[in-house]
Amino acid sequence: MIFVVAEQKDNKLKPITSELLVFAQRMSRDFGEPITAVVLGSSVTALADELKTKKIDRVIMADHESLRDYSPDAYVEILKAIIGQEKPFAVLIGHTTQGMDFAPRLAVGLRRPLIAGCVEYENQAGKLILTRQIFNAKMNMRTSPKGEAPYLATASPGAFPGDEVEVGGNAEVVSFSVQTAAASRRKVLERLEAEKGKADLTAAPIIVSGGRGLKQKENFNIIFELAEAVGGSVGASRPVVDAEWLPREYQIGSSGQTVSPRLYFAIGISGAIQHLVGMQTSRCIVAINKDAEAPIFKVAHYGIVDDLFKVVPVLTKIFKDLRQAS
Amino acid sequence: MKIISCVKAVPDPSSRLIINESKNWIKDSDLTFVASEADNYALEEALRLKEKHTGEVIVISMGGEEAARVLRAGLAMGADRAIHLLDPKFKGSDEFTVAAAIAKAIAKDGGADLVLAGVQSDDLGTGMTGTMIAEFLGVPHASVVVGVESDGKSLKVRRELEGGINETVELPMPALLTIQFGINQPRYASLKGIMAAKKKEFKVWSASDLGLADNEIGRDGAMYEVREVLVPERKSKVEILTGTPEEASIKLVEKLRKEAKVL
Repeated sequence: MIFVVAEQKDNKLKPITSELLVFAQRMSRDFGEPITAVVLGSSVTALADELKTKKIDRVIMADHESLRDYSPDAYVEILKAIIGQEKPFAVLIGHTTQGMDFAPRLAVGLRRPLIAGCVEYENQAGKLILTRQIFNAKMNMRTSPKGEAPYLATASPGAFPGDEVEVGGNAEVVSFSVQTAAASRRKVLERLEAEKGKADLTAAPIIVSGGRGLKQKENFNIIFELAEAVGGSVGASRPVVDAEWLPREYQIGSSGQTVSPRLYFAIGISGAIQHLVGMQTSRCIVAINKDAEAPIFKVAHYGIVDDLFKVVPVLTKIFKDLRQAS
Repeated sequence: MKIISCVKAVPDPSSRLIINESKNWIKDSDLTFVASEADNYALEEALRLKEKHTGEVIVISMGGEEAARVLRAGLAMGADRAIHLLDPKFKGSDEFTVAAAIAKAIAKDGGADLVLAGVQSDDLGTGMTGTMIAEFLGVPHASVVVGVESDGKSLKVRRELEGGINETVELPMPALLTIQFGINQPRYASLKGIMAAKKKEFKVWSASDLGLADNEIGRDGAMYEVREVLVPERKSKVEILTGTPEEASIKLVEKLRKEAKVL
């Protein structure tokens, strides 16, 4: 049996849940294991009903008032009990802030392997091989979990195409009876949405983003100049924001904004997975980076492998000339 | 407040990484090692908390000479003492066995009010070890922390969630926090700090000091086997535009206008 731990927020399934279902559906074909989706929360019948329309075999629903807000203590306690009872082969969890908040504790609690940040799997003569990215996605590591199942894995966002989830099932919904989940030691006091501010990039048709390759704050001028010449907005990768070259609102990636413009320039950005998930659906991606091995070239459509300080001013001039000519 | 800050030695980010001959890790013999970036943010946060609440900051790391080096750097930044988990038997450890050994060492040192770790390392980068230590210690934790306040008994911390959302959570101490990049600006070691570091306590503990059996550590204790490390194949058909910066730029603009039609 393959478990998919559905991720939900405010009683809506998060996109990673579809990606996990695709991961499970592929694995199910290769290993001949049925799929069970597990959903935790309060008043989540509608979510169970949504999950059961997918091509899976069963939904286990843990519905309890104490599960309204996510907490690692409650998730670990309940998943431990369900896994202990059902003895699945694999447990698939999102490699998200929430998934990685409880999965490591769950693995230690169960004393079972956790392979985090998976992008692929293989069936090698019946043995499960899980591939994950290391060194900021520059390399992959193929691993095989040891000992008896269950094997826990978290899937990197974007690694499995959520829109390919197969539907047409009519899975049985089973309730897992929750008496009272342990009182959470960690209590949520408040939740704050980020200020959209002046840099709301989600609707920008053209974005020019700069990364660590710019080397220092003052050099970011060339990014602003190129953006102006091409009629685009400026974005940034996480290290730029961490170094306080630009305010947080410019950040694109998993902890910043997710964008999908017509044209995206990634300049001096190596392409850590956290950045890629925030921009990889852009229609046309241009990467300028002197490191030909940089993972950004994996998602780019056009690339220039050269010193950005030489290329960017030339590009800016070309765009300026084009503007004047038209 | 007694704070233990976990630090991992990783290859300097500017290193050129080459896969080793057995294809199960990188060639690490000639590399320079530094503290993993997120661990520096964690140590800086530990030092700031100590400055506010008094107490002590202990840095801890597992590894060979490279771990000793980052521990000395931590002492130079201002940590009060260091614990080095050093044993040839630790070789081949995974996140699970590292977390188990660090938790044992923390307990042996008499526990801590607060344990800090970077949110993820620059090498494996899976973000598991810190949270695993919390479970081994049986203490609550908060991950991806971008702000910490304490009254000495409990913590109020800000966590960063996806999509730019932050949440504030409260948890009792002892506790463990994994610290997000960018929470502060880590200080540089001063010359005085570097000199003072040489006189600070530096404990070295082996597996047997921690009461760990051979099947709980290193490759034998690890929860998974590394089959292969490889450079992934490029799936995308990126078109690299060559020539001088001028030539490449002209080709690029042509492609964007006529082929991709996005201008």
